[in-house]
Amino acid sequence: MIKRILFCCLIAGYFSSCTAVKEYEKVKINDPDMVLSTKGVDRFETNFQAYREAAAGANGGKTGGGCGCN
Amino acid sequence: MISAAVGSAQEGDSTTTYKKRVLENTEVDFLASYYTQEGDNAAVSGGVGTEHLTNVTPTVVVSIPLNADDVLTIDGEVSAYTSASSSNINPFDGGQPADPFVASSGASSSDTWTNLTGTYSHSSDDRNDIWSAKLAVSTEFDYFSLGFGGSYTKLFNEKNTEVSVNANVYLDNWKTIYPYELRPFENGRNGLSDGLFRRYNITGNQNYNPDFVGLDKTNRNSYSVGLGFSQILSERLQGSLALDVVQQQGLLSTPFQRVYFKDVEDSFIQNFQLADDIERLPDTRFKIAAGGRLNYYINETFVVRTYYRYYTDDWGIRSNTASIEVPIKIAQKFTLYPSYRYYDQTAADYFAPYEEHLSTEEFYTSDYDLSEFNANQYGFGVTYTDIFTQFHLWQFGLKSIDLKYHYYERNTGLKANIIAAGFKFILD
Repeated sequence: MIKRILFCCLIAGYFSSCTAVKEYEKVKINDPDMVLSTKGVDRFETNFQAYREAAAGANGGKTGGGCGCN
Repeated sequence: MISAAVGSAQEGDSTTTYKKRVLENTEVDFLASYYTQEGDNAAVSGGVGTEHLTNVTPTVVVSIPLNADDVLTIDGEVSAYTSASSSNINPFDGGQPADPFVASSGASSSDTWTNLTGTYSHSSDDRNDIWSAKLAVSTEFDYFSLGFGGSYTKLFNEKNTEVSVNANVYLDNWKTIYPYELRPFENGRNGLSDGLFRRYNITGNQNYNPDFVGLDKTNRNSYSVGLGFSQILSERLQGSLALDVVQQQGLLSTPFQRVYFKDVEDSFIQNFQLADDIERLPDTRFKIAAGGRLNYYINETFVVRTYYRYYTDDWGIRSNTASIEVPIKIAQKFTLYPSYRYYDQTAADYFAPYEEHLSTEEFYTSDYDLSEFNANQYGFGVTYTDIFTQFHLWQFGLKSIDLKYHYYERNTGLKANIIAAGFKFILD
């Protein structure tokens, strides 16, 4: 797991070294479908997955609270 | 409350120099979902029995700009469900013979979960620093949860790079409800003299005498820390990485989920096998989830959104999740959202199917949510967007409508359908 985290950090460092995109060049990046978070309507999908599956987290969904026992 | 908050914000604006507000107007999201599932591995009846469940979830989210920098978000959600498996906590109160594949009709067949979350966020003048704090309360008949947390986000590199850290604590409490037939045996109560066993004949092993000890903990605490990093990689490409670390303590099993041992003779009332014990799980669990997103803008019609997550915990579960969604703009106001998601997980160390655990084991469960499986999910959605908010409802203009449908299928047989809808309004 530690190797995986270090690998992610390396990727992060590589990404952040890219040339900055100027504000006036962000028309495509600012497209509503390019957002890196999920839409509000997607919360229900994320919730049922957290209840029906053992894995949770790293997706903007909840990481604790509630029993999810039905 | 909304108008007071907006009024206050307007007064504040008149005395400060202009800067773009974090949120221009109050936004209201009306969301709802309908979920249904079918399966034959109910955890309440030890890994065999109907998992039929329906769930309706109306939700309102109101985001209020308190001033140019601060936003208050109130999120209220109600989840009303009927569950065939939960109904069999007491399978003897229906109008037909007790059977794990037939829903009973007693009090445990339905419940309502209610959640209220308040989030306050503050952005710095240059919008490069964002703080937020959150308080959440949720409750249902046998469960109460209090959550609080906070986050800090820093943007730099001309807002091309974003790092964030968040921490959350959930303090939950169970009202322990045990399978009906085990209750007379809890800590040496009246056992077979109970009215249940005078009312019904036991078949199979008639000397039903489980060594049942009630749970000594009722709390469940979850502590999580999350790290986030996102980066604009080009004019068309951006990605993010997220890491969540979670420590849970307390009652991590579900008190009404039965387990049947293969070294204990089976006893029945009607068609229902009487529990040998409830599931028993360790009182700590450590989870790590690491995920990444990568979004690419192909052209004015197509965008590709991808996601991958690796998960592991100290119960022996390892999991992979991968998904792709391709938004397709078919007209100025309409976008389609076809999607696919793959998921797999290994089994928890404590999982075994029906009648495969031994009574000598320390921990055991037959909950198929902790079994080894893979799942495929297919989705389709459509969004209507009107940036001019021409349609009005009172003082609110309709900005967008989202409709989504997902079909979910496990290789263990569980199938689920979920329909979700969202209506976003903006106060004029």
